[in-house]
Amino acid sequence: MSDESKGTAIICPACGAENLPGTLFCTECGIYLPSGGPLRTEPLPDEQEGATSRRWVQESTLGVNQLVGITIEVLESGRRVPLALEEGKEIFIGRLDAVHGIFPELDLTNDGGLGHGVSRRHARIHTKNGVCFLEDMDSTNGTYLEDERLTPYLPYELHDGDIITLGTMRLRVRLHKRAA
Amino acid sequence: MRATIDPQKDYYQVLGVTQDASIEEIKAAFRALARRYHPDSATGDAEQFRLVQEAYDVLRDPAQRLAYDRQRASLGLSSDAPLQIKSWVSASVLPALESEQLLYVMAEISPKSAQGTGEQPLNLALVIDRSTSMRGTRMENVKLAIHEFIDALKPEDRLAVIAFSDRAEVIVPSVRGTEKRRLHAAISRLVPSGGTEIYQGLMTALEEVRRYVGGRYVSHVILMTDGRTYGDEELSLIEAKRAAAQGIGISALGIGEDWNDLFLDALAQAGHGLSQYISAPSQLQRLLQQHLRGLSSVIARNLDLFVKPAEGMVLRSIYRVRPHIGPLPLPEGGAIALGHLSDESIGVLLELVVQPEPPLGEHRILRFEVEALCGNDLKRTRLRHDVKVTFTTGEVPPQEVPARLLNTLARWSVYRLQEKAWHFLEKGDTREATTLLQSAATRLFDMGQRELARVAMLEADRIDQQGAPSSRGRKQLRYGTRSLAISPADDKLRS
Repeated sequence: MSDESKGTAIICPACGAENLPGTLFCTECGIYLPSGGPLRTEPLPDEQEGATSRRWVQESTLGVNQLVGITIEVLESGRRVPLALEEGKEIFIGRLDAVHGIFPELDLTNDGGLGHGVSRRHARIHTKNGVCFLEDMDSTNGTYLEDERLTPYLPYELHDGDIITLGTMRLRVRLHKRAA
Repeated sequence: MRATIDPQKDYYQVLGVTQDASIEEIKAAFRALARRYHPDSATGDAEQFRLVQEAYDVLRDPAQRLAYDRQRASLGLSSDAPLQIKSWVSASVLPALESEQLLYVMAEISPKSAQGTGEQPLNLALVIDRSTSMRGTRMENVKLAIHEFIDALKPEDRLAVIAFSDRAEVIVPSVRGTEKRRLHAAISRLVPSGGTEIYQGLMTALEEVRRYVGGRYVSHVILMTDGRTYGDEELSLIEAKRAAAQGIGISALGIGEDWNDLFLDALAQAGHGLSQYISAPSQLQRLLQQHLRGLSSVIARNLDLFVKPAEGMVLRSIYRVRPHIGPLPLPEGGAIALGHLSDESIGVLLELVVQPEPPLGEHRILRFEVEALCGNDLKRTRLRHDVKVTFTTGEVPPQEVPARLLNTLARWSVYRLQEKAWHFLEKGDTREATTLLQSAATRLFDMGQRELARVAMLEADRIDQQGAPSSRGRKQLRYGTRSLAISPADDKLRS
């Protein structure tokens, strides 16, 4: 029996609302729950892991006060994208390129990513031991954290409220801790 | 020997003939199949042979065949209904949980074949708001659209034109589609003056339509208004329900920004019609033409939907999702009236709460039944459709949510967010309303609906700062999100 079949509520990574197991769109904020991220028109092919690992189940390995989600605000367009954080799972930021099989979790195409010099594979975010890291993926125009240019492939710790700059596109980070 | 009739078996399918097959066709089919399945032959199959014989015994006898057809029809199993029901579930294999879980079910009722029953004669009334606020280009645009509407009428159609302000006036009583000159002339003479009292206009229009209601006529009233009516909303709604019970539909088109969207929505819902927002003059022409086409291509009338959840299943909500998104009343054992079915399918979406510890294995969780008047003789037809899923304690395999369902859910959830925002605003909770509209904006942006996303963001800011949205923005959002088109291409995206 998988963890999920014990039947605990799905906690929305964006707003914290409790949803019945099986819910696909959060009843409070409408976010697409299985990916914990935005639904463009449909979930993209690279997200087809087992349904169990994609759901946001309360009983995870995370303890109290652990990070559960991150909201990235694109300052230019005002768009806010809530994404789930999970140990060992990476959030790629860049521009979608279906032909080359690049499906970033945060796709900046519609925010004018190309004009701002965002690479298709620009940066990634991951968590380790409850700490959130940002890493530049040797992008053409560089990644900046609080206006400091990052050395490619070195993880830098992210804090709530940080400003990330990809090329010339500015993003604000909001970290969500799980309430006790 | 008298054959036993089992209406659950499709004898026509057993013999491989259509339901209107002649006795000669049935005999020929039987002989061929009997030879193939006879236990003495090389391709013999005793079980199948017995079934073929049973089918033939019933269908060869006209009296038995008639009885069989009737039994099938009353069970909703008849295959001659011109419509069909299809369904989708968010998961077909579910874990047997010790707690509640949610399952989404979508059903679509659509015409079985593309040809339909041909053009239906219409019995229509146009109700035109001629209040002072219509003066100028607005009235000219309405006139233009109506002139085109008149031109598209068929000779066997009927049209009455009613204008209303503080009182209602029959501009042209119900006349045949051949009297186009008279209709055109009356429209040209229309001059705006006075206030807006919808009830009077509606009553007068219904009187005209009632004179010819019945027979093959598709009867419908189309109301066009740009203003608010005061104090006669309740009466209008009662009148709309009465009309719907007589088979007269009502649609409402709101022009400009100042009309009462909640009232027109309620009126159209009571009248089993559509309410729509006209923000540009060209839209009115298009919508009127669409209406005309939709009404004359009606293939089944007065659809009643029965939703019967099995034991252990609780219906949490039900929405219409096609052609437009909108709420439906929870049935509570009764029928949900869905109006007419034209060549565009009608879709409903259900949230079903599966109670803890469901029985293991494959089970029917829901039954849909549709009753409608079909064909040129308006025969009452029933149709049944069961939805089944499997519950297991084992590993649940990864399943893809059907693309059509997922895309519908995405749009439905945005529609719900903004409807909820207005609801909170009504209660004075501007904070919650702002948050909900911001969420709706994000979702709309994700779906590539940038224009609507921008409107949602703007209105969220307005509510946040001034405590109220703009009348225009609110209407753009309400009518924009309900009609987010689900293109056929959406189904192919994931394949």
